Amino acid sequence: MIRLRPVLPVFFLMLFLCAAILSPALAKEADVAAPTPPTDKVFNAQTFTLDNGLQVVVVENRSIPVVTHMVWYRVGAADEPPGKSGIAHFLEHLMFKGQSYPGLGEIAPGEFSKIVRSLGGNDNAFTAQDYTAYFQTISSAHLETVMRMEAGRMRGLQLPREAVDSERLVILEERRQRIDNDPRAQFDEQLGEALFPNHPYGTPVIGWFHEMEQLSWEDATGFYQRYYAPNNAYLVVSGDVSVEDVRALAEKTYGLIPKGDVPERARTISPPFIARTSVKMTHPVVKEPVFQREYRAPSARQNAKDSLALQVLEEIMDGGSTSRLYKSLVVEKKIASSVSLSYISFAWDDATLAVGGTAMDGFTPEQVEAAIDDELRLLITGGVREQELKEAILRLQAQAIYARDSVAGPAMVVGYTLVTGSSLDDLETWPQQIETVTAKQVQDVAAKYLNPDAPTSTPFVNGYLYPPQTKAEEKAP
Amino acid sequence: MRQSVRVIFALFAIVVAVNGVSAPAVAKDLKVETQAGKFIDIKEVRSPGGITAWLVEDHTVPVIAVEFGFLDAGGKQDPTDKQGLAQLASNMLDEGAGELDSQGFQGELENLSVRLRFSAGRDHFSGGFKTLSRNKARAFELLKLALTQPRFDSEPLGRMKIANQSRLKGSMTQPDWIATRIQNDRIFEGHPYGRNNGGTLSSLEGMTGDDLRGFMKRLGRNNLRVSVAGDITAEELGAILDEVFGALQESSIPEDRPTSLQSAGKVYLHVKDVPQTVIEMAQPGISRKDPDYHFAQVMNFILGSSGFGSRLTEEVREKRGLTYGIYSYFMDYEDVQVLHVSTSTATASVNEVIGLIRAEWARMTDTDISEKELSDAKSYLIGSLPLSMTSTDRIAGLMLSLQMDELPIDYLDERQKKIEQTTVADVRRVAQRVLKPELFTTVLVGKPESSKDAVLVERLPNVE
Repeated sequence: MIRLRPVLPVFFLMLFLCAAILSPALAKEADVAAPTPPTDKVFNAQTFTLDNGLQVVVVENRSIPVVTHMVWYRVGAADEPPGKSGIAHFLEHLMFKGQSYPGLGEIAPGEFSKIVRSLGGNDNAFTAQDYTAYFQTISSAHLETVMRMEAGRMRGLQLPREAVDSERLVILEERRQRIDNDPRAQFDEQLGEALFPNHPYGTPVIGWFHEMEQLSWEDATGFYQRYYAPNNAYLVVSGDVSVEDVRALAEKTYGLIPKGDVPERARTISPPFIARTSVKMTHPVVKEPVFQREYRAPSARQNAKDSLALQVLEEIMDGGSTSRLYKSLVVEKKIASSVSLSYISFAWDDATLAVGGTAMDGFTPEQVEAAIDDELRLLITGGVREQELKEAILRLQAQAIYARDSVAGPAMVVGYTLVTGSSLDDLETWPQQIETVTAKQVQDVAAKYLNPDAPTSTPFVNGYLYPPQTKAEEKAP
Repeated sequence: MRQSVRVIFALFAIVVAVNGVSAPAVAKDLKVETQAGKFIDIKEVRSPGGITAWLVEDHTVPVIAVEFGFLDAGGKQDPTDKQGLAQLASNMLDEGAGELDSQGFQGELENLSVRLRFSAGRDHFSGGFKTLSRNKARAFELLKLALTQPRFDSEPLGRMKIANQSRLKGSMTQPDWIATRIQNDRIFEGHPYGRNNGGTLSSLEGMTGDDLRGFMKRLGRNNLRVSVAGDITAEELGAILDEVFGALQESSIPEDRPTSLQSAGKVYLHVKDVPQTVIEMAQPGISRKDPDYHFAQVMNFILGSSGFGSRLTEEVREKRGLTYGIYSYFMDYEDVQVLHVSTSTATASVNEVIGLIRAEWARMTDTDISEKELSDAKSYLIGSLPLSMTSTDRIAGLMLSLQMDELPIDYLDERQKKIEQTTVADVRRVAQRVLKPELFTTVLVGKPESSKDAVLVERLPNVE
């Protein structure tokens, strides 16, 4: 089998790192979750909170003497001041440019990753709309060292002015490589911009080129001072370590940092969609026409119940090559060479649900759209069969078992969950919660959020990407 | 994201310090060789029917991962007018088998959450399989069906051809893919490696069920290698090996066709109206079986494979901000070895970046590395081995990579020792032996300002 999926929108630029995308529910903060019977929980994670407000989560896995150590800051591109797009991601780069903090040592600019390498570890970092995360995967013998290093830059960044100038060139090259050299990425960026008017999710994580060029040392350090603090972060450690060991190490390192005064998250809200919005783009190098629609849908934090139903809906519509969309558009009607529906519940504000496909030779994006709409109407009017529902739920639950067969994977999922406002308990009991979703709920969320015939109450944007000229009659060479 | 993710690990495999300790056979006719290791315990299991597999038993999570490969069954065996055949076969093996048509087979895989994929390399053909323990009985039957009774029905065949053609059309919009395509065509000229392993629009169009049935003759029990990790015992595995793979016939393995890189010293340009130019450079590499291979790994870690801290990243990205990523890496094929450099930079700085790469080649051959560079490289290369073993499928995959290169079960033990013993002088000597900047074949995709010496490539080779 080969399944071609359209590239994810640029807001989700980072999610490809997620080994298995599990999704949580409900918006409540859990300071302490005492895990009991291991068989019922996905990861059997342990958690505690330091006096300075840093919540720590540990997922033990002794298969191999390796740990993944991650710090997730609850700040991302959607928290940037107007006109400073890209500053959250730029700061992420600059966090490797030198640090010093009392009791946690000093690291010269550019040395952070080299030290991790010299200990046999790998490190990296990523930025998304709602969060910024830093991580190392390394032999468990070196956990204390990387905790000291990571804690040392939580409040101890010593950013040289000249580092800002050379690194600004790097992020501009990154933008050229990821977006400006790639018509599909440009198209996705435009779609996202249209989907979130008056909301920061409409601005790409990497930033707009003209604003990135102007980002300064003051912008970066100001953003850092405002948002980087233990009470605005989560520490997640998974692998060959116990919760007791992590607690002792965390108190010695992160425990040295005082609580910060972090502003409340305040974001503007998108107005209702009144007109139908479309993005049409023609590009000389594109060979095949694409249809892509993006909806705003509730995230797990906003509406746990509907989010769970949307996750089951996603599995029924696009859970493999026997799922509804692939079977109908690619196998039977042969209108599209690929099709996908993806819903990522991890968002602080609205989640994005994307549905689309690549048109077969001789078909137009509009025909792909019509076929997708037929499937959505069928779902809304006819609902789903009990058997279909049961199978989808079983497949989702299997993902939770596979997710445990990894060191970094559990840390990623725990991080996504907490940093987008759901609780550890939501994650741990996800298989049981997903089992409660009914056929009626799936049908209801389809009608409520995805109805193609109610465009004014349902915020969505249709995107059409065309080759230079549509020559339906022209055969592939 | 701060650093583009490259597969550093794909190029040097993993783990397992091994001390030979034989265990008694656990069942009649089943032979199990146990190696007590520092990180992990690999057993060699020989089934009653005579099929061998490497096994790492781990009951932590109720899953079983099987990685298997068929030596020399990859794209290099595709006929010239059927390039992409192995690739198409890799897409078709799970599209219906035995009594089950495409939807029936895929439906069973999905509902049992069996993960099954096949892939076609230039040299080898391989597969990966993962199942929940509770579904293993039917899951292994499905794997057997895929390998022994694939149907190759016309409906999924047409669909997979189109999916591959569609992927190809998508790739044609990607400057880095275009650069790699041109590079393979030029450096492997005259050898099957130079063809498009993924097929061309027209070669895919012409493929039939008979072509695929012909392909199946490449998959034999003599060229089969199997690695298994997870929730399974040696005894159980012995029986499963016979059940799943026992029906395979012998296959004939083609002769090696050793070759050397072509187009040395040439620069090729494909003009594309993009703001950033992709630069792909290649020169001869070194074989994994070469006694200097591990020294070359240490040298390349310092030169360009390590991302942050490598000389190329320091000079081109950290000091000057000229790129988001620059890497050098070895590729070791059966018939030829390559050392690649990949990067991209704004149109105006192409010549500067190429000059910096050449300067680093010269520095590595003309001067000694520092003791600190050496010790940092060694501790990474030795200490990071377990990082590639963080799931059952990764463990099985690493073991398989050793088997596919026909390396001994204790190879990595030897590797660790050789890396530990590397000296500054070894690195200098190997740098002088391997680094040959005059042999670079350079491909540019973009619209660099001063590239008048470049040979223009207008039409992409082996795409349409």
